[in-house]
Amino acid sequence: MRPLTFLLATEPPPRRAGVLVAVVAVALCTLLIYPLKQVAPVVSLGVVYLLAVLIVSAIWGALLGVFTAVLSAAAFNFFHLPPVGHFEIRNSSNWVALITFVVAAALVSSIAEVTRARTRDADARRREADLAAEMARLLLRGNNLAEALPTAAARLAQALELNSAAIEMEAVEGDERSVAFPLREGTRRLGTLLVGTDTSEQSLRRLQERVVPALEALLSAALERERLLGGVVETAALRRADTVKTALLRAVSHDLRSPLTAISAAGEAVGSPSLSPQEREEMAAVIQEEARRLSRLVDNLLDLSRLEAGAAEPRRDWTSVEDLIRAALRELAARPEEFSLSIDPDLPLVSVDPVQMERAFVNVLENARRHSGGFPVSVRGRAVRSLAHARARTVTAGGGRRAEEQAEEPTPAGDRVIVRVVDRGPGIPPAQLERVFEPFYRAGTSAGGHRGSGLGLAIARGFAEANAGSLHVESLPGQGAAFVFELPLSEPGEESPA
Amino acid sequence: MNTPAQPAAARPPRVLVVDDEPQIVRALKVVLREAGFEAIPAETASEALDLAAVRPPEAAIVDLVLPDGDGVEVTRTLREWSEMPILVLSAVGEEEQKVRALEAGADDYITKPFGARELVARLQAALRRAAPSEDEPIIAVQGLEVDLAARLVRRDSEPIHLTPIEFDLLRVLVRNRGRLMTHRKLLAEVWGPEYVDDIQPLRTHIARLRAKIEPEGAAGPRYIVTDPGVGYRFSL
Repeated sequence: MRPLTFLLATEPPPRRAGVLVAVVAVALCTLLIYPLKQVAPVVSLGVVYLLAVLIVSAIWGALLGVFTAVLSAAAFNFFHLPPVGHFEIRNSSNWVALITFVVAAALVSSIAEVTRARTRDADARRREADLAAEMARLLLRGNNLAEALPTAAARLAQALELNSAAIEMEAVEGDERSVAFPLREGTRRLGTLLVGTDTSEQSLRRLQERVVPALEALLSAALERERLLGGVVETAALRRADTVKTALLRAVSHDLRSPLTAISAAGEAVGSPSLSPQEREEMAAVIQEEARRLSRLVDNLLDLSRLEAGAAEPRRDWTSVEDLIRAALRELAARPEEFSLSIDPDLPLVSVDPVQMERAFVNVLENARRHSGGFPVSVRGRAVRSLAHARARTVTAGGGRRAEEQAEEPTPAGDRVIVRVVDRGPGIPPAQLERVFEPFYRAGTSAGGHRGSGLGLAIARGFAEANAGSLHVESLPGQGAAFVFELPLSEPGEESPA
Repeated sequence: MNTPAQPAAARPPRVLVVDDEPQIVRALKVVLREAGFEAIPAETASEALDLAAVRPPEAAIVDLVLPDGDGVEVTRTLREWSEMPILVLSAVGEEEQKVRALEAGADDYITKPFGARELVARLQAALRRAAPSEDEPIIAVQGLEVDLAARLVRRDSEPIHLTPIEFDLLRVLVRNRGRLMTHRKLLAEVWGPEYVDDIQPLRTHIARLRAKIEPEGAAGPRYIVTDPGVGYRFSL
């Protein structure tokens, strides 16, 4: 039966073609009867026309079918029934032929119509099922429901041959350009399906009956899924915060107590009658150094809590990087042999919060000193500029026309101050490179290597980033580590120093 | 078995100090010297064990957190060949390690930050206990008299009747007076090693023992002091 499926195509070919086929088929049947007359009585050969009638009714329906039936009856009468060459309805065989043709036409065309309708229906259902499956994939798989809605709406419009469709997550009223279908779950309003006002009645009905309920179920599931995902993310975040708090407590417990113990013991030792002058000095140094360490730890804890709370809003000022580094070294009570400085004397000023950036430098320098194994830590500062930038800057420096020039200036990706702090310590294994910036992370277990609080690098990076800069580390195990600060030379729209 | 010898008069007792905080060690050195000890500093667990083998100390002070291991391991290893008193230094948040160190054979712990005087007092007490006192038949502490041989207990000369288990408990505590006895240690000594996890009956017996020996109306126990979560100690 496969070859004949074209007979039941869901949409019949044009009617004009049908008329043509009817006429040609009737003509062919008429011609076919001439040779057949030699083998059979002419009256019985009327059945040949049934072929034409059946084909036309099956394909083009009842109207053309009846037309073919009448045409066949007329042709049979005119060409083959005596008296040949005349229309003359003389005996009942004429009527029998005509009625048979008409009845066959009506019967075949209605059967064909029913089959065709069923096929159409099945096709529509398959398309709806496909559509529902695809909508489910679009709405339930992604991580962002709001982003998936336009795609889902476009797919809906395409499948239902609508000119426009949109799914909104809120209650929207229809207007002169769109028809609104409210989407609900029970009494709760989920959103609205909007289609163009040019949509046909039939499509609107189909939307209301078939599409809207499916869409409501899908949206409701997608919203529930999003809510649950949100819960999962929140739980994970809370758990992380909890871990951080526990780590903080441990760190505080250990790191506050060690300097306190040293201070308390040294304080007691100072009272000893047998103390030599050299020991007395040593004990005083212990007390001073450990008190400084305590105070740095307290500063770090405050800094970290500020950074974690997002309250580290920088108070920017035009600042010399060299001044920052020298202040940091003073804060660390650094001895001259501990650090070797090489800072470009023409280094331009940067717009940063001097207090925050000093804290960042203090922490990175202290970390480098701690891990440098007694070798001096090298600190180098220089500016990096792109050529296009240098031109813009020249103009800026010459006249006060910064605002106009700013518009042409490219984003300052290549225009920055770079400070490299390089130690000659054991280096950092590649797997730990990023972890060293995590709060409470302490690299390695090398002897004497865990005296830091594990907070310094996290704070340094936090402040560098809060000031539009960055801090990263480069290292090969066994070859020391380089901590690299990058600070942008200017922020668009900011005043240059007077 | 290596009972620590009484230090010769010429040489101050050696104390191994294991802590990776050089400032603490520097200060403790002075404090200990002032109290008549010689401090042998070690920064790491392995250095501590090496030094202890080369120059056997009379006592050890061990920090629980060390760069190359923990104080529990150091305690256990020292205990394998020596009966020397071992004090562990701990911080809040290291309770679990503290108990493990005591189980591993540490004699006492002291929480950072501590006063140097307290450290010295605990050290001296631990050394006194380590000195042989096995044949001390009658122990008298603050009005309480325990006759170990006759199994008699008197408070202010009034005889007190104890059940055999209560007496055994008191005997173990008194003979280790000043020393922190963990729950497990007490259970093992009084009931036997298979009962080391039955803390609840231990609490009950301690409560009954206290009701009998502690003076009425006092603010808290005078003789048997609780170290919460760790054990009991008979006060000096």
